[in-house]
Amino acid sequence: MPNITLNSVVKTYGGKSLAVDNLTTTFPSGEFICLLGPSGCGKTTTLRMIAGLERPDSGEIRFGDEVFYSSQTGTYLRPEKRKLGLMFQSYALWPHMTVEQNVVFGLAMKRMPREDQAKRFTELAKLFHLDGLGQRYPRELSGGQQQRVALARMLAVSPDLLLLDEPLSNLDASLRLEMRAELKRLHQTLGCTVIFVTHDQLEAMTMATSIAVMNKGRIEQMAKPMDIYRHPSSHFVANFVGSPPMNMLTPGEAPGLASEMTKILGTPADRAGTVGIRPEALRLTGQPANGGLKATIDTIQPTGADWIIGLQAEGRQLFALSSEPPPADIGAEVGLNLKADGIHAFDQNGKAVGPSL
Amino acid sequence: MTTTDRTTRPPLQARLRLLLSQLVSEPSYVIGAVLALALAYLVLAPMAAVLGSAVQMTRMDAVRAGASPGDLTFSYFQRVFTSPVAQDIFWTPLGNTMTVALFATALAVLFGLVLAMLVTSTNIWGRSILGFLLIIPYMLPSQALATAWITVFKNRRTGGSPGMLEALGLTPPDWLAYGPLPIVICLALSYFPFAFLLFSNALNKIDTQLEEAAVTLGARPHIVWRRILLPLLIPTTMSVLLLTVARTLGTFATPYVLGTPVGYTLLSTSLYSSLRSGAPGVAAVLAIVLGLFGVAMLLLDIWMVRNWQRFITVGGKGGKREPARLTLLARFPASAVAWGVFLIAAFGPLLVMFLSTIMREPGVFALSNFSLGYWTGGDGRPGVFNSPEILLSLYNSLSIAGSAAVICGVLGLAVGYAVVRLPGSWLSGFLRQVSFLPYLMPGMAFAAAFLTLFAVPRGPVPALYGSITLLILVMVVTYLPYASRSGISAMMQVGREPEEAGMVLGAGFFARITRILGPLQKTALVTAIILPFISGMKELSLVVMLVTPGTELLTTQSLRFLDYGHTQLANATILIIGVVVMLLVLLMQKVTKSSLAGGLGG
Ligand SMILES: Nc1ncnc2c1ncn2[C@@H]1O[C@H](COP(=O)(O)OP(=O)(O)OP(=O)(O)O)[C@@H](O)[C@H]1O
Ligand SMILES: [Mg+2]
Repeated sequence: MPNITLNSVVKTYGGKSLAVDNLTTTFPSGEFICLLGPSGCGKTTTLRMIAGLERPDSGEIRFGDEVFYSSQTGTYLRPEKRKLGLMFQSYALWPHMTVEQNVVFGLAMKRMPREDQAKRFTELAKLFHLDGLGQRYPRELSGGQQQRVALARMLAVSPDLLLLDEPLSNLDASLRLEMRAELKRLHQTLGCTVIFVTHDQLEAMTMATSIAVMNKGRIEQMAKPMDIYRHPSSHFVANFVGSPPMNMLTPGEAPGLASEMTKILGTPADRAGTVGIRPEALRLTGQPANGGLKATIDTIQPTGADWIIGLQAEGRQLFALSSEPPPADIGAEVGLNLKADGIHAFDQNGKAVGPSL
Repeated sequence: MTTTDRTTRPPLQARLRLLLSQLVSEPSYVIGAVLALALAYLVLAPMAAVLGSAVQMTRMDAVRAGASPGDLTFSYFQRVFTSPVAQDIFWTPLGNTMTVALFATALAVLFGLVLAMLVTSTNIWGRSILGFLLIIPYMLPSQALATAWITVFKNRRTGGSPGMLEALGLTPPDWLAYGPLPIVICLALSYFPFAFLLFSNALNKIDTQLEEAAVTLGARPHIVWRRILLPLLIPTTMSVLLLTVARTLGTFATPYVLGTPVGYTLLSTSLYSSLRSGAPGVAAVLAIVLGLFGVAMLLLDIWMVRNWQRFITVGGKGGKREPARLTLLARFPASAVAWGVFLIAAFGPLLVMFLSTIMREPGVFALSNFSLGYWTGGDGRPGVFNSPEILLSLYNSLSIAGSAAVICGVLGLAVGYAVVRLPGSWLSGFLRQVSFLPYLMPGMAFAAAFLTLFAVPRGPVPALYGSITLLILVMVVTYLPYASRSGISAMMQVGREPEEAGMVLGAGFFARITRILGPLQKTALVTAIILPFISGMKELSLVVMLVTPGTELLTTQSLRFLDYGHTQLANATILIIGVVVMLLVLLMQKVTKSSLAGGLGG
């Protein structure tokens, strides 16, 4: 199956607000790609341009050899010719059609005979646990059922490429977990490329085979989830991925901590504009060692499996994440150990700098 | 220094191909462009025409002055503003108009606010039914109250059948029968339902948590009103004020019926008589003045919308306001006020009008004096049911207002579609603005402009004066603001996604309209049709200068009856309009399951 390629894609709204800024990237075939980024960074716009609902100002979008859009040759392929499935955040189920009418709409548009439509609906109803719901209207369904109808409607026409825009954000927590698993399973059985938009980093980490972190209309980094987490290429990515977020310091703010961190990392101190440490790399010891790093416990938030411990060190607020209960109570002074693999440094422009750089 | 500058500009051919594919796959551009052109012609051209005719010699004046027709002249402006007759034509009517507008608006807004407070927030007796009863005056044409007033207070100054009091031997003085006092009262009573509707709507939308927050902090009810609710009503008050002022400025029927007999003229009646007495240049100047008032209102409205936005509370989640429990001592007078207004503004006038149509001689309450003669015919006259004039005008009203309403509804939704599908484009902004322009324009000014434009053939457009087409056109343009407003909000509510979902699955434009958007917008279409239909049935000021003997509407016909002193037939005609409008209102409530208030929305 072909890759999706974006080439210098620019999109502005109303001639000025830049939504997508000269984006060049390749989404490899067969992957489950999460477009992850804060609100307004251009995720939806990117997805809609791939779907053909929005036109770039300039640039090229290809699906393998097939040109979806090119401002140089003046090619624009209509959405229905792109053989893709799209799912909206609101699901956009048509309220005046029954579940079955919704699901087979795409087949009806292709003038498939009615019996075949009905057969296909039965198949899909079984796959998505919609048996017996065919004659209901969308408002008579629960949120989870509506979601599955939207999935079935998208998949009825057997698209080569699935585009999903925050499809889980309207669901409650337990249903969301269930649907994450379901989507992941679906991807494994169908094997087609999925592009999934979300601003929830947990969703991206758990589902994606590849995460593309977007910021201000550009892709900052694209990599496997664990690589994004372990080797963020920029300050922005490091800060955005992970919860609680990475503790960030400038050497000026907390000289003791920062110099310890650059020493462990082996980065020249003058190159690091910012240093950061993941909460789980901050280890608390009962007693501060002589001359070692120390901090005061500020808050303790048990989450059940872990503890999120708020600390004050050199006048800075830090968060530590630990699977062990904290060694002392609120107000007590504790020692700090830093684990090397959770420490990162970034230069003045926010680019990651390593020991070898 | 955007990235666009860095990329090389694609070849012309590629850009043309893209443009073409865009026009094909997104018909909203074409729809928007066609609508924009049509609207620009129908809204802006009349205005240009009226400006033109204010500064060009008419044929008659040209002969008199020894110039050629069409020559540039400022004589009409001089005549209106500085000549010896200026006082009668313009300055006095201007003063009268201001006075009447000021007092009528103040009263109408006050009534509306107090009644809305009583009905939405207290436990007065019959509050739910009052919500409907108090908007009845809105469903009657604007001359209804004036005609009812005449029916009671008409004195021997004018001919025809006498008023009820006169018939009882009490001659009402002129100041009570005609002139500013009755005009102000009638206008206030016919326009307060707007204020009432809008205030009730606003009060119901205010999040009750805002009040509850104040109550928990120890505020007594009157403090809650003074410090929380009334300030929150400021934006509504402003738009109600504007709307009512705009309406009273352009109002025609009431001053015509109640002012003309004693020579009390407003700008609208002055404009009418200038036109009737063959002075179109003067009429054009007066229309421009009225139009300028309209523009001023529109600018004020835009300014206010922008400046009071911050007052609009978002996401009201609170429940329905618990009505304040008045003590018996307060409950009685409060209920009396609300019911009193209903009796005076709706029940009384309707009763008076109805009584007049079933009594041979006014004011004689003997059983033998009652007869259905005015309805069924007899006594040597045709009755309402077999009067060719009334039947023709009923047919005209229904067909003209009906076709205008259907066109308006469809156009309104089309405007909504184009505006929503082309967000941020100048086309969408233009459509929104132009379709809204007639909103606060006094009807008389607009009618004068239309008359000027279509009285003579222009290019491919034949002379339309005296045709049904002209009446339909002018109604379509005037009511478009209501239709396009409900069209835009309906399309906004549905959003683009249902259609886009269809697009991805291969539905072309036609399939999307018939299978997705159409069914989704059924109720919106009904609203966008019925609201203009109601206005069209009641319309007078807009059409009074445009109708001709074959194209009389019910409203203009009732005015003719009054001119000839047939008060009873005038009343019967108005009652017919009232019945038709009420049926339409009921139909709308049934179809949309919502009240009038939502649809009017300003
Ligand atoms: N139709 C539009 N008109 C004008 N500006 C728009 C439009 N759609 C998006 N934008 C702007 O483009 C930028 C990118 O928007 P986009 O919807 O792609 O963000 P997003 O990453 O999907 O955000 P979210 O997580 O909030 O959905 C934003 O600044 C937004 O304000
Ligand atoms: Mg989005």
